[in-house]
Amino acid sequence: MGIYDTLTPSTILFIFALLTAPVLRIIHKHKKKIYRPFSILWILVIFFIVTVAIAHIWVSYFASAEENPFHQIFLISESRPVLSSSLLIDSVSVYMAAVYLVVGLISVLYSVLYLQDENRFSGRYIALMLMILGSVIAATFSGDLLTLFIFWEASAAGSCLLIVYRRTLKSIEACLKYLVMIIMASGFIIYGLSIIYGLTGSLNFWAVREALMKLPDKRLLITAFAFVACGYAIETAIVPFHMWLPDAYTAAPSSTSAFLSAIVDQASYYVFMRILIYILTPPQILNWPLALAIFSALTMTIGNLFALAQTNVKRMISYVCVADIGYNLVAITSVKPLGLMGNLFFFFVGGMTTALAFMAVGILNNLGLKRLDDFSGIGRRFPMTSLSLIVAVCSFSGIPPLAGFMSKYMVFTAAIEGGMVWLAVIGVLNSALQTGYLLRLVHYMYARPMKLKLNKTKREPRALLIPIYAFVTLIVLLGIYPSIILSAIYPAAKQLGLLLP
Amino acid sequence: MVLLLIFLLPLFSIPFIFLVGRESKRKPGAIIVMFSVLDLILLLSIVPEVLSKGKYMESYYWMPMLGAPLTLFADGVSLSLAAITLLLIISSVIFALDYMEDSKSLWQFYVLIALLTVGLVGVFITANLMIFYFCWEFMLIPAYFIIGGWGYRESYRAAFKFFIFTHAGAVAVLLGIGAIYMLTGTLDIFQAKDLLAAAPQDFLKWIFIALTLGFAVKMAIVPLHMWLPDAHAEAPAPMSALLSGVIIEAGAYAILRVPLGTVFPLISDVSASNQILYTLSILGVLSAFYGAMTALAENDIKRIVAYSSISHMGYALFGLSLYPCVEGIVGAVLHLVNHAASKGLLFLNAGAIMKQTGARDISKMGGLASKMPITAFSTAVSSFSIAGIPSLACFISEFLMFMGGFQAGSSDSFYYATTTFMIMGTVFSLAYTLRLIWRVFFESSKIEKAHDPSLIMSIPMIFLSLIVILLGVWSGPIIHLISSANLS
Repeated sequence: MGIYDTLTPSTILFIFALLTAPVLRIIHKHKKKIYRPFSILWILVIFFIVTVAIAHIWVSYFASAEENPFHQIFLISESRPVLSSSLLIDSVSVYMAAVYLVVGLISVLYSVLYLQDENRFSGRYIALMLMILGSVIAATFSGDLLTLFIFWEASAAGSCLLIVYRRTLKSIEACLKYLVMIIMASGFIIYGLSIIYGLTGSLNFWAVREALMKLPDKRLLITAFAFVACGYAIETAIVPFHMWLPDAYTAAPSSTSAFLSAIVDQASYYVFMRILIYILTPPQILNWPLALAIFSALTMTIGNLFALAQTNVKRMISYVCVADIGYNLVAITSVKPLGLMGNLFFFFVGGMTTALAFMAVGILNNLGLKRLDDFSGIGRRFPMTSLSLIVAVCSFSGIPPLAGFMSKYMVFTAAIEGGMVWLAVIGVLNSALQTGYLLRLVHYMYARPMKLKLNKTKREPRALLIPIYAFVTLIVLLGIYPSIILSAIYPAAKQLGLLLP
Repeated sequence: MVLLLIFLLPLFSIPFIFLVGRESKRKPGAIIVMFSVLDLILLLSIVPEVLSKGKYMESYYWMPMLGAPLTLFADGVSLSLAAITLLLIISSVIFALDYMEDSKSLWQFYVLIALLTVGLVGVFITANLMIFYFCWEFMLIPAYFIIGGWGYRESYRAAFKFFIFTHAGAVAVLLGIGAIYMLTGTLDIFQAKDLLAAAPQDFLKWIFIALTLGFAVKMAIVPLHMWLPDAHAEAPAPMSALLSGVIIEAGAYAILRVPLGTVFPLISDVSASNQILYTLSILGVLSAFYGAMTALAENDIKRIVAYSSISHMGYALFGLSLYPCVEGIVGAVLHLVNHAASKGLLFLNAGAIMKQTGARDISKMGGLASKMPITAFSTAVSSFSIAGIPSLACFISEFLMFMGGFQAGSSDSFYYATTTFMIMGTVFSLAYTLRLIWRVFFESSKIEKAHDPSLIMSIPMIFLSLIVILLGVWSGPIIHLISSANLS
């Protein structure tokens, strides 16, 4: 496995992203009739090629995973030169790439169909999505802090353009907010990285980790990681830095919200996890779990409380996203194999569930239903969309046999295992609270009479239901038989043992 | 294979229901009845093996990474409870064929009943905490929509209350299960029981409390009972029968199986374990009295029956608090079976009365005995059984529990007190059932026209009445079956 193998998926995505806009533009102009099938076919072809590339990495990594679990690739030479960019393939990054691929395919397909409903040319939008997907996949394979930072920032910058896509006043405001936040965040991160580089002489994960273990004076180290963590906390939208997220996700088109929550959000948790678990373990280097536990409790509670108070459904789902961040952090704090498994499972399932919720709400938004009141009685009017929304809601609430339950179970058990029973208790209380307000949504949908007088010709768009039900199927399937994913992430959990003393 | 088939069989009925449901209103119900009868036959086919070996187990590959194989398990207790569940489902679905004839989108109702069956039967026939929790929570979604969609006034509000209360309880259970997994690395209750011995005592106590708290919510023990009267009163009658008959019983069964059966024996501190049992006992007495007194004061026929369920769950909890006294436990389990049959029947009767007269206030009824003889007969059987009249089902189990109480009292005089209270409680049970019967069937007539329900509705009523009588006069086999399980 060399550098070319590793970067192939991202490179393919980048190249095709550049081709997408002109190609689709030409088709759109000259052959409008075949535009829709062509764009779907185009995306399927791209994803097929990327799937082959990732499958190649997967197979060749697991062929030698036993003797070489952390496969590092240096761009300049095989030793660890000072500023050489490096790539890392381990079971976590391979798994994450596959997750992005699956979730990305479904949500990009949804976007293609969704934006055509809005009757606008969507070539650039799709190109941006592919770009973001490419940089996120590259970020998972990066082996040092700087490469990670660059690819991660690329995806964040792309997200801005997705958010502002509709060019309404609100979306511009939300985008500006997001932009200011991430610029501040990258300032923090760069500052922290420069201190780390000064301390250790490298930014490579392993080099930094080894240098830090030997470091006698930890004060500067604490400052450095405070900056880095703070920066990434802003981008992950951990409370108290969460304000941009609900605005951005509410103002953006639903396809954007679905894509961002499923891909970029999960990528940001991944970055957080990678830095904390793979560099700062064993936690004896720095006692971060407790601090993180406090923030995760805050994030869960505040996210859920704000969600409770929302009347705009899309905004409510955005706050559920914030709460989900809290659950993810709970798993990270445990620094246990089970916690890592819970995390990796959550990256997949949580992303799918929020994406599903945004997609279903997106359909209803397009029909003119925005507020909780408008959702009264839609259960019988739009049965398929409502059913998918119920699946999302139940999965959020952690009701078996949906996949959300398995992820919550692993996360909370990991917290107990990590010795933080109080955090698990707060978590399950939050989970009950979450069920309360989400069930209120179901209550509105089924128990109340229809309020809005909708035109009778308005129907659920059939085509949009296909990607939605792809997610529904995955959520139910993974809930009933999680071993499909668990067997893929089990090696990662075992490898965590190599890092712990 | 048998248990797996029993577990999943109701799911296979769903495509058939979907196929025939759009044309016919009764066929989907008939399909459920067919599948449930088949399920019951399969269940009874393993009785001989359970009787000879004490238990029956099957294990399949599921989630080895989380210590959770798909272990299905049946012993006397779970068999008898699963059997009465299926009997009750069969009866109430037959009852629903005519009872629900005016409702809309009935095929959805039957699909939800089929899903509910999976959860209900699954709870009783597994030995793995993960599957147990799966089934436990899985009941909620269909139950919510059945109560909400086909219930009476403000039914979705009642369903909402039911969902939130039981889900909040379930998260406490989840914490307990997580802690057990953390301490032992397994989710199998028998392995966990062996491995928990090494766990710190303090932790065990908290696990016990978390689990019991969660299960007690579903069992509707005072002071966690607030959801029950609304949910049971507003649900459609077949669902009320299932709610009162089986779903709350599942809570009692769960307390017996998980906190009492798995965690409690390992609490070595005698004063702590005594405290726990005393608390359970006192809560049982409280629930029994509270339910009976409130039932005496209510006028709404379904709410009377609902409050009586709270009272009887108090009896069951009292029986469980006699752990490890075998008479007490066998009595409690038998009471669950008997109460399921009697209370299910009583709710069906209440539904029949409401459907035929259009009233639910007992002060507006009266003199129905001559007009609705079949209903009168089955109501009399069920409510006298609830009241604990000899030769009817609940008498035997209450008698067993009281015997157990006195036996436990001989070593610890505390139980003399609670047992005496419980015996006094039966007087109140008799009082509210007599009041119910007197007001509805005798007294001067206030309702002009009423007649017995149709044949289809009468069949399950008569059938369940016969079962209640049978359980009362010939309870030997089922006691034998229950006590074949290893209970203490």
